[in-house]
Amino acid sequence: MPAKLEAGWYKNAIIYQVHVRTFYDSNGDGVGDFAGLAQRLDYLQELGVNAIWLMPFFPSPLRDDGYDISDYRSVHPSYGTLEDFKSFLSIAHECGLRVIIEMVLNHTSDQHPWFHESRSSRDNPKRDWYVWSDSDTKYRETRIIFLDTEMSNWAWDPISKSYYWHRFFSHQPDLNYDNPALQEEMWDVMKFWLELGVDGFRLDAVPYLIEREGTNCENLPETHAIIRDLRKRVDEHFPGAMLLAEANQWPADLRPYFGNGDEFHMAFHFPLMPRMFMGLRLEDRKPITEILQQTPEIPASCQWCLFLRNHDELTLEMVTDIERDYMYDIYARDKAMRLNLGIRRRLATLLDNDRRRIELMNGMLMSLPGTPIIYYGDEIGMGDNIYLGDRNGVRTPMQWNGGWNGGFSNADPEKLYSPPILNPVYGYQAVNVLSQKRTPHSLLSWMQHIIATRRSTPVFGSGSIEFLYPANHRVLAYVRQLGSETILVVNNLSNAAQSVELDLRRYKGNILIEMFGRNIFPRIGDLPYFLTMGPYQFFWFRLRKI
Amino acid sequence: MAEENLLTDEFLRQLISVGEVDIVVGLSTHNHAKTVGTVIGAIQSGILKCFPRERVAIINADGGSQDGTTELVTNASIDDLRRDSKLYALRTLHSISVRYARLPDPSKALQTILAGADLLRAKACVIVSPESTTIEPDWLQRLARPAYYDNFDLVCPVYRRQKFEGALVRNLLYPMTRSLYGSRIREPYGSEFAISGRLGTDFLGSGILNQDGGRMGPEISTTIFALTGKYRVCQSLLGAKPPSSRSSHDMVAAMRRTVGALFASLDGNFPFWSAISGSQPVPTVGTSLEVTQETARINRKRLLEMFSSGVAQLEPVLGAILSPSLLAELKRIAALSLDEFEYPPDLWTRTVFEFAASYHKSTINRDHIIQAIVPLYRGRSLTFINENRDGPGEQIETREESLCADFERLKPYLLEIWADGK
Amino acid sequence: MREIIVNELTQAFQQMAREIVHYLPRLIVMLVIALIGWAIAYLLKLLVRSLLRLTKFSKLSENAGATQLLHQAALPSSTELVSRFVFWVAWIGFVLLGVSVLGIAGLQEYISRFFLFLPRLFVALVILFFGLVAASFFSRAALLAAVNANFRSSRMLSSAVRVIIMIFALSMVFEVLGVAEQTMLIAFASVFGAAMLGLAIAFGLGGQDLARKFLERKFGRQVKEEREDEFSPL
Repeated sequence: MPAKLEAGWYKNAIIYQVHVRTFYDSNGDGVGDFAGLAQRLDYLQELGVNAIWLMPFFPSPLRDDGYDISDYRSVHPSYGTLEDFKSFLSIAHECGLRVIIEMVLNHTSDQHPWFHESRSSRDNPKRDWYVWSDSDTKYRETRIIFLDTEMSNWAWDPISKSYYWHRFFSHQPDLNYDNPALQEEMWDVMKFWLELGVDGFRLDAVPYLIEREGTNCENLPETHAIIRDLRKRVDEHFPGAMLLAEANQWPADLRPYFGNGDEFHMAFHFPLMPRMFMGLRLEDRKPITEILQQTPEIPASCQWCLFLRNHDELTLEMVTDIERDYMYDIYARDKAMRLNLGIRRRLATLLDNDRRRIELMNGMLMSLPGTPIIYYGDEIGMGDNIYLGDRNGVRTPMQWNGGWNGGFSNADPEKLYSPPILNPVYGYQAVNVLSQKRTPHSLLSWMQHIIATRRSTPVFGSGSIEFLYPANHRVLAYVRQLGSETILVVNNLSNAAQSVELDLRRYKGNILIEMFGRNIFPRIGDLPYFLTMGPYQFFWFRLRKI
Repeated sequence: MAEENLLTDEFLRQLISVGEVDIVVGLSTHNHAKTVGTVIGAIQSGILKCFPRERVAIINADGGSQDGTTELVTNASIDDLRRDSKLYALRTLHSISVRYARLPDPSKALQTILAGADLLRAKACVIVSPESTTIEPDWLQRLARPAYYDNFDLVCPVYRRQKFEGALVRNLLYPMTRSLYGSRIREPYGSEFAISGRLGTDFLGSGILNQDGGRMGPEISTTIFALTGKYRVCQSLLGAKPPSSRSSHDMVAAMRRTVGALFASLDGNFPFWSAISGSQPVPTVGTSLEVTQETARINRKRLLEMFSSGVAQLEPVLGAILSPSLLAELKRIAALSLDEFEYPPDLWTRTVFEFAASYHKSTINRDHIIQAIVPLYRGRSLTFINENRDGPGEQIETREESLCADFERLKPYLLEIWADGK
Repeated sequence: MREIIVNELTQAFQQMAREIVHYLPRLIVMLVIALIGWAIAYLLKLLVRSLLRLTKFSKLSENAGATQLLHQAALPSSTELVSRFVFWVAWIGFVLLGVSVLGIAGLQEYISRFFLFLPRLFVALVILFFGLVAASFFSRAALLAAVNANFRSSRMLSSAVRVIIMIFALSMVFEVLGVAEQTMLIAFASVFGAAMLGLAIAFGLGGQDLARKFLERKFGRQVKEEREDEFSPL
């Protein structure tokens, strides 16, 4: 049973991102469900994570994988019932797992009853719950997000004979947050779920809540006001509940979403993620250190969320053209892998199934300042299927064993919501939980070990960070500190062995204790600390003065 | 290995930090603070523009500068420590500097750069002069690309010049290199050039830079080494020739560094060049460069005086170098007036060849032989200026081709006097 | 009276004949010694020459740079030079030995002095040789430098350098030989003065532009010189 939501619990969380549809099918209909997910929570408990972030599971026509919501207070029938969800929630809490769910604030499906009402007539009370216009010329400076499919942010509604505003797909009309009634309704929705017992929300697409002429309709002051209001209400009625912002922005533009500790508790650090992949390939820490140098300080109660991959494409919106071209050429030579200024591949396939690189990237994920998120399946090195269209290639069934449907479902394989991965390298016969559990040196075992090590100290979650800048640019080194506890992290980003000299004079007299093997390394003296590192190797050292 | 003495501990530490690279850009400096800033800026722009993804390092071999030259070079580094850098770079760019000696020594500077490039396993090494203020960012690509992508081992420059510039190159270095080594390299002595990692390693290991010729003229020695080995050579059209350095106006120093090194190379490479007849064109990258026709004021009278007075006063010296018939010819033309003066191409060719043969036999001190050629070169350059004063660019090329043909045609004469007692 | 004169003359001639008869064998011996000495010296020369050729002395001397110097000074090769020196020393030795047989009083001392003199003669010859070589080299160097610096009186400068070096070398030779030692002092003074002159010339040459500019500024003359562009030869 997780402790009652203590303040700041999310700082030491390790979050597991999963879609209920993909995890485990308990009733043989080919689609994962809450009952199945509940059955598999022991796996997550064993893995060592302590929070789950659920992808959207509300009723939806599923034209955007559940982000197009048609009912905010229920569960999609494919995944079970509200009761199933409540049961799952209860078991999760018993396993010590907190539950974070999606709350898509910005838009609904065009199948939502609210939209049906709104479009039916200009006099309808819910007319103003959406953003309508007689022309499609307003808000010209606004960029289009889904470039591959959408030509405009306005769509013509033949029923209403006017245009409605949509920042995403045209079947996802934007809600109008200038309408107080709509605001109240959304708060009511959030309250509904919080009262059921969820521990937090990931608020999707928050920068786009408000539109104003003459702006790019992103990150406007009015948007922040709405968020502050929501936060205030959450703190008042459900203290400890966490709000996580999904805002794909530069760090400086993200900073306002933390407010003075009175807006979001957490936000994704989007720009860091592609730079980790870039730094690895360039064998140069520069992209990583530079983006973190540009990352502003955030309030002490707030936290960044770090991730390597997620359900979307690996976004390259927040990089320069040169960087994007480089990433495409290195990681997405096949144009079929590219989508919407991003790359739709999983972690293992991006890293050519190189165990050393997978470990190194996870090592950085676990040791850089922020709360790490593990995308389901990446802990066993699952592959992807880029031919499934949109981003479905990274949303294939979880691979539990080498048997029928990879142990995901007893249904006919043709009935599955998505075909599993079948190729000899990443297919479920080769990559699955059961076989990795039997091997002490499997990726899964290693992930358990590193998660446990990470959780053994609060320094990673709550500590400060100070970069060392050794002359060897292939080595990324930094010191994490919290109170009297100090940890030195050294990462070799290169494919070749490297030697590095670290200036550790500030920590003179400390003995280094390597955290995985717990062996002691020489004491720090006046001279630069000399380390030799194997390809893609990393060290976590606890500094100890005796 | 020769490298052991070239690498100070500090240099080695810096090289370890840089790690393996794809391209090295080398600069040899000595108190070049006035010009190196422009050059290093162009190099940096060139790297960011033309090789943004490649691992590039700048290595500066400095001969004891006191004016802040090395700081200007190392400031070109782009890394995560310099947070105020306005330049965007995908990768870290290392710009390191090493003091290789207390006093400038071009040969040791080149060795240091090549040793660094060798240890860093660079696929291509571009050498740039710190005085080349006309350098453009594109030059880096024009030099490095053939070596880095197209597997050429040596990339020589070709410049757009004022028509009277480079008279020594046009009248001696190019024709002689062409006729002896069989390759039509326009600028065998270039202040900018690129070499492949393979050639750099072989050249460094050959020890030539520690011998007389290599010490005197490392640049031309590099060219000759490439021509006499199994290396692919090409030339690349760059742009306007950078303004000349102070030292290249010192004719004697320029002669030593070019002609001296060229003559010195003939001894060891005799089996190679004696077997060659004719010459082959060399692949050229880029569109053609015209000769510029800017007007120029030349003191032709002074040139003639220097020639005739040189012939007269150096007669005892020239007598020990040249054959009596050739010396008599020189005395005859030394007596001509300015309007009548002509130093014909075949006479010039035989002069050069007789000097080369005397150098080989050391009839007098070799350095004295090189010094003695200077006034004669003045006479030849006067003829060059007279011939090309009014003509178009193509005419200069035609005459130069004709001079090269003379050098090639008279090569047997050189072979004949090479073996004889004088 | 006549008889006394005839008697005296007869006695004088007889005395002379007796002395000739007394010295003639010694003379003959001296000539024989000289002849034998010549032959031995010649044989020695051949022997030394063969030995030097066998031991590749010429190679050694080439490596040391002596061959080139000799060639440039228009002297025979080092092997030849050494063999000839050995010949002359040996033969002169035999000749002197022969002369000593004549038993002329006081000559012995001169002969031994001669042999004691030989090493100093050798050193003096070496100094002279190198002096010649240096004079040749430096005068040529000065000539070339002056010509290339457009100095009008290059030949004069070159000759001056040659003369100065020769004076210096000769004064050293004389000192070694112990001849005219005072000359050394004078020679040194001359050299010193010449060196100063040389420096003045060097500074004058080097600073002529500066001097010209100074003069122009001082006296405001417009120097009508043909201005020219400088083109690099490279």
